[in-house]
Amino acid sequence: MATAALRLTGVSVGYQGRPVVTGVDLELRPGQRLALVGPNGAGKSTLIKAVLGLADILTGAATVLDQEPARARSHTGYVPQTGNLDPDFPVSVRQVVMMGRYRQLGWWRPARATDRQAVATALDRVGLTDRARDRFGLLSGGQRQRALLARAIVARPRLLLLDEPFNGVDAVSQDAIVRVLRELSADGTAIVLSTHDLTVARDLADLVCLVNGRQWAVGTPGETLTAGPLRQTYAHAALDLADGRMVLVEP
Amino acid sequence: MIEPFAVPFMGRALTEIALLALICGPVSVFVFVRRLSFVSDALTHTVFPGVVIGFVAGGIEGLFAGALVAGLLTAVVLTVLTRAARLTDDAATAVVLTAMFSIGVVLVSRRTSYTSDLTAFLFGRLLTVTPRQIAETAVLAAVILVALAIGARAWLFRAFDPAGAAAAGLRVGWLDLWLNVLLALVVVAAVRAVGTILVVALLVVPAAAARMITARPAVMALAGTGLVLVAGYAGLLLSWTASLRYGVALTSASAVVLMLVLAYLLLLPVRRWRDRSFAGGLT
Repeated sequence: MATAALRLTGVSVGYQGRPVVTGVDLELRPGQRLALVGPNGAGKSTLIKAVLGLADILTGAATVLDQEPARARSHTGYVPQTGNLDPDFPVSVRQVVMMGRYRQLGWWRPARATDRQAVATALDRVGLTDRARDRFGLLSGGQRQRALLARAIVARPRLLLLDEPFNGVDAVSQDAIVRVLRELSADGTAIVLSTHDLTVARDLADLVCLVNGRQWAVGTPGETLTAGPLRQTYAHAALDLADGRMVLVEP
Repeated sequence: MIEPFAVPFMGRALTEIALLALICGPVSVFVFVRRLSFVSDALTHTVFPGVVIGFVAGGIEGLFAGALVAGLLTAVVLTVLTRAARLTDDAATAVVLTAMFSIGVVLVSRRTSYTSDLTAFLFGRLLTVTPRQIAETAVLAAVILVALAIGARAWLFRAFDPAGAAAAGLRVGWLDLWLNVLLALVVVAAVRAVGTILVVALLVVPAAAARMITARPAVMALAGTGLVLVAGYAGLLLSWTASLRYGVALTSASAVVLMLVLAYLLLLPVRRWRDRSFAGGLT
């Protein structure tokens, strides 16, 4: 059993030698939920891709489940932003979720009853059983996100990474996603998600990492989602903490 | 309706089209979902210098090897340009297409004696397909079908969600190279029968037409194969009838492609009807 699901020590990440995020130090234990919080272009997606071994780690040390990131892919799940996917792609919701089993299936082996059962269970878990036969592009934004979450969890990952999972998501889907994430972490799955939503980060995460070109703060929501670190992270934006709510507004 | 195919050259032409249908139906699905129509078109042109060099080196029998080498070279160069040089697919394709086709034209312009033979290569010679050519197409078809069976699952994942596929451990660059090589093989297999200009129709139209009636990739592949078979049969019959009964010279390969495009046009209303009835669903 890995002591840390994710350990980043003095890490800078980027592409082709050009850093996007620098100075990241954090440790995530199995079952913990980490929220990456920062404005657009802060480097949250790049950091997630680095954890997947798809972006370069320029300096520092990164381990995923005590392995190099690229070597740990068989134990990681990834939920991309749905906006990057072609809504007219001829594929059903069930086929999308089955893609999560391809690693187990390999090149040749056809899906067996156990694979189909795993897909059905994952669809049921995210509340999309009745949409299994529909074309993926017919789903709403929130339903697509739930389908991609089902694709990730059908492989039973030990570390799950979600890139802006609540963007354009309706309240029903957001509740469903939050519920599943809580269940997964209760079962020992470590979770990393990027989000703009400070309320979600405060309610859902055990740890928050504030990033914007560099790591500005890391700690519990109570330590990080406060006026000082948020003002530093969001640069020129002002912060309204009235009534316990956290709202970022233009200065 | 069947009698014309009792004539040996018509029977061979139908056999060649049937073999091409087997591979073009499924391969066109990946051309469709990966939006590789322009790449397919480029491959049909980039085999041209290979054809010329093959002809110079080995006459008519050298065409196949020349096209094969040029097609594979194109597949590799295209993949390297898009992956390593980080060019867009369109830009890389345009660079390779124009470069290779220019080389072909320069080579042709150096010698005029084989211009007529190569003109036939542009439009295909479906009715003069030999048993040896059918055997070569069959071998290529077998190789392509095996490669499809192995790669289909990964290609579908990569086409739908490249980042997700890479995160799942699939090597996207190798998958792209593999698919480009497969496209090159299909072009080489089909180009002698239907010509470099018309072969792109066999790679693009089947899936585009099949998409009108279904959104299931496997069914699209089967429907695409069926469409090429039907268009092949109808096109050959049309060419035969037009020539013998009405004295109209109608190139057989052109007739086959015309039938394929006609099928696409006839299916257009079906897509609209399905969209209204099922809101674009998979049913």
